[in-house]
Amino acid sequence: MNALFREARFLLGLKSAVAAILCLFLLSAVAVGAGLVEVARQQATIARIAPQQAADVAAIADWASREKDPGNAAYYTFHATWDPPSDLAFAAIGTRDVSPYVLRVRALGLEAQLYEGEIGNPEAALPGRFDFAFVLVYLAPLFVILLFHDLRSGEREAGRLGALEASAGSPRGLWRARIAVRAAGLFLALAVPFLIGAAVAGTALWKTGSVLLIVLAYLAFWITLSVVVARAKRGSLANAMTLAAAWMTLTLIVPAIGHVVINSAIPLRQGMELGQRQRTAVHRAWDIPKSQTMDAFFRTHPEWKDTAPLTEAFHWKWYFAFHQVGDESAADLARAYRAGVLKRAAWSERLGLVTPGVAAQLALHRLAGADPSAQIAYQDRIRAFHGALRGFYYPYLFRDRPFGRDDFARAPVYQAAPDPGGWPGGLLLGLVGMTALVAAVGAWWSRREGL
Amino acid sequence: MSVMISVARNALRHLLRSRIALTGVVLVALLTLAAAVTSRAYQADQAGLRDRLQHAADQDFAAQPNRHPHRVVHFGHFAIRPASGLAAMDPGVEAFTGNMIFLEGHRQNSANFGDARQSSLLVRFGQLSPALVLQVIAPLLLVFIGAGMVAGERERGTLRQSLLAGVSGGTLLGGKALALGFAGLIISAPAFGLLLWVGVNGGARASAVALSALGYVAYLAFWTLLIVAVSAMVQRSRTALIALVGAWAFSVVLVPRLAPEVAAGLAPLPTRVETDIAVQRDLRAMGDSHNPNDPYFAAFKQKTLKQYGVSRVEDLPVNYRGLLAIEGEKLTSSLFDRYADQAFGAMAAQGRVMDALAVVSPTIAIRRLSMTLAETDLSAYRRFLEQAEAYRYDLVQRLNRLQATAVTAEDDAAKSKSAAAESRSRISADHWRSMPHFAPDRPSAGEVTGRALPSLIVLLLWLAAGALLAARAGRRLNRSAA
Repeated sequence: MNALFREARFLLGLKSAVAAILCLFLLSAVAVGAGLVEVARQQATIARIAPQQAADVAAIADWASREKDPGNAAYYTFHATWDPPSDLAFAAIGTRDVSPYVLRVRALGLEAQLYEGEIGNPEAALPGRFDFAFVLVYLAPLFVILLFHDLRSGEREAGRLGALEASAGSPRGLWRARIAVRAAGLFLALAVPFLIGAAVAGTALWKTGSVLLIVLAYLAFWITLSVVVARAKRGSLANAMTLAAAWMTLTLIVPAIGHVVINSAIPLRQGMELGQRQRTAVHRAWDIPKSQTMDAFFRTHPEWKDTAPLTEAFHWKWYFAFHQVGDESAADLARAYRAGVLKRAAWSERLGLVTPGVAAQLALHRLAGADPSAQIAYQDRIRAFHGALRGFYYPYLFRDRPFGRDDFARAPVYQAAPDPGGWPGGLLLGLVGMTALVAAVGAWWSRREGL
Repeated sequence: MSVMISVARNALRHLLRSRIALTGVVLVALLTLAAAVTSRAYQADQAGLRDRLQHAADQDFAAQPNRHPHRVVHFGHFAIRPASGLAAMDPGVEAFTGNMIFLEGHRQNSANFGDARQSSLLVRFGQLSPALVLQVIAPLLLVFIGAGMVAGERERGTLRQSLLAGVSGGTLLGGKALALGFAGLIISAPAFGLLLWVGVNGGARASAVALSALGYVAYLAFWTLLIVAVSAMVQRSRTALIALVGAWAFSVVLVPRLAPEVAAGLAPLPTRVETDIAVQRDLRAMGDSHNPNDPYFAAFKQKTLKQYGVSRVEDLPVNYRGLLAIEGEKLTSSLFDRYADQAFGAMAAQGRVMDALAVVSPTIAIRRLSMTLAETDLSAYRRFLEQAEAYRYDLVQRLNRLQATAVTAEDDAAKSKSAAAESRSRISADHWRSMPHFAPDRPSAGEVTGRALPSLIVLLLWLAAGALLAARAGRRLNRSAA
């Protein structure tokens, strides 16, 4: 314990180390602040849309309730869906800045509506967000390298090594205390701003704890690596270079190569083909006998089979039926597209098992519900809601029930739930595994070299 | 000059002897090569796919049977963004923009199926491209092999020897910079090879290739000078390394990330949903086509009747529904344009804020220069969207005019009641086949160069600042020797 206090006092006396830890503290504080501001902005946007949406529906109800034609109501009324940021989104914004978190749909073909993009500045999205995940994954290792690369070599180069080890009684204890104090400094510089952010955002306790675990595991990896490298009796310069090269490889090069490999191994062309196929299928209905469309529709929706047969005249139920049939004809492509997005994400997790930076990044985003699988989950919720919309309008359309002003208020309302986030157990295990691997290799190597 | 070259030769020999430095140079050169090859292959694949899809869309459109023109308005068309030649060098915002727009009447859809939305989170680590290697990784490698170039000699005591032997500080630093710059050229050679290749093979203009190469040379030269200067100004290699890695992390990693946060706060963007609602609201305020007594459309009717010199709609020589469709599309399109201009105006304001940060980070300047020349920046994307919108408007109005002139008012009115009228309201499929194809044109070479120029000037200023710093460091070396 005494050794720890001694080291803490020593560290506080080192201006450069204190400056580095303060700098990391400042960066994570700014990142947490920026994340909270962004989340507040997204929440304000969602809140702002509700009254606008209500006014839009009321304006449609004004004219559509005169004729009471359910077709007009179903055709013209859009229904809002939204994906509120989770209680941890402030720490990892993730895909929320490239995909919409508010989307309106109507009871027409869903496949033409589900993939709508958001108005975003692509040049702002390009470099990525400045959030807590970024500070942890990219910047924190640099600070680890800064504080640990010359742990021994710095003392040796200053000519103090012998005297220091002699004065400490147990040299092993001295280095342990020094590592522990510096690690604690870095951990606190990351954890304190995060905990304040979590308190402001009301983050669930298990998520807060999980993030701290990720921070701890990720720092442990870099500290272990630094200590292993620093144990070799080489100069501080060579240590710093080796570590910075490792950092560049693990956080820049390997993920970039992994991205190229994954995207070319799992090409996703279904998206654009899906759009064209659904459109053509929908519009073909105008050129084939109506009975052909209705037969196809009744095969999947037998409950409407006994409704009044179509005549020569236009009927909305036929119109909505061919939209549904159009969706169904593109269903295989839609499934393949969805599976492809998830498969890409799954492979990136596999890469995370051996790349700590990727593991930390993916684990934080999984917890925050801001990764591609959260995006797909939102699309699934929209799909279910759209199904409910169809279920709501079809009885009016197929049974020719008038659709009055009151009926507008009866339409299903989207029930938003922020992504619950998932426990990134596998990724954490990968982080711990990689740390253990580095430690084992380091121990084996130092025994071989007789250090 | 010969002294400088011999200093450079010695420094290079030293680099070759250092295993770490040599491995680093070879590995990053290989990485650049891999980036050039994969990026080129990916872009060629994308270009093929997009060509095919656009062709398929054109065919689908032309293959429509006889139809009522308004059905064709809703059948719509697809506009697919053609790939740019230099995208292999710098994909820019390509992954963050949609590539396909569904064009139809009454609505303005978004461009969908961008790569970032359908990729794993790895895309946020940066895409492997020659631009990423040259902008981000090459400077860091130069820092590694260059930080100790002068400071290391000082630590070994050979620096003082050289200075006392009469080599001036400026010559010494010049020689070191030449050697480091040579290493920089080796690691970036595959990227320059790619530039040349896309230039020769017609994918890119010679002016863009030349300016892009000039920009990257200036950028890497700036880092070379900065590294040599810092290495000369500090006492120990380790201090130089830490200071330079810090400078690198600040200007290459930190500032580009902070820039959007600053910009987003200063010029917020509306969401698509809000814009959609606002367009509908404004439309209702202008004229409600669902209201038979709407003043705007009543006035339009009076104007039309007067224009044709008749007193009743039934007496018009054209189909009044077609005229209404033309007028309605005109109203909605003017609103689409207005809101799109607002959104792009906000984005341009954000862009100006982000570009201004080039004052503290040369990476911002090279990124802007590179994307602009590769035509993979926001303004190239905006150009595509605007051309797609112009094409959509033209196509829809051609079809609306056909509804006004080629479909009789009686058939149009009776088509949803009677199959015979419906059949008569269909016009010949020849009309679809004679519609123009979507053929977006590229900005002129002069326009691209003009937009690239400011960032090139900023880069050259950075280079001049680097040279000034190196010159000062050289003079300090002279003083320290004396």
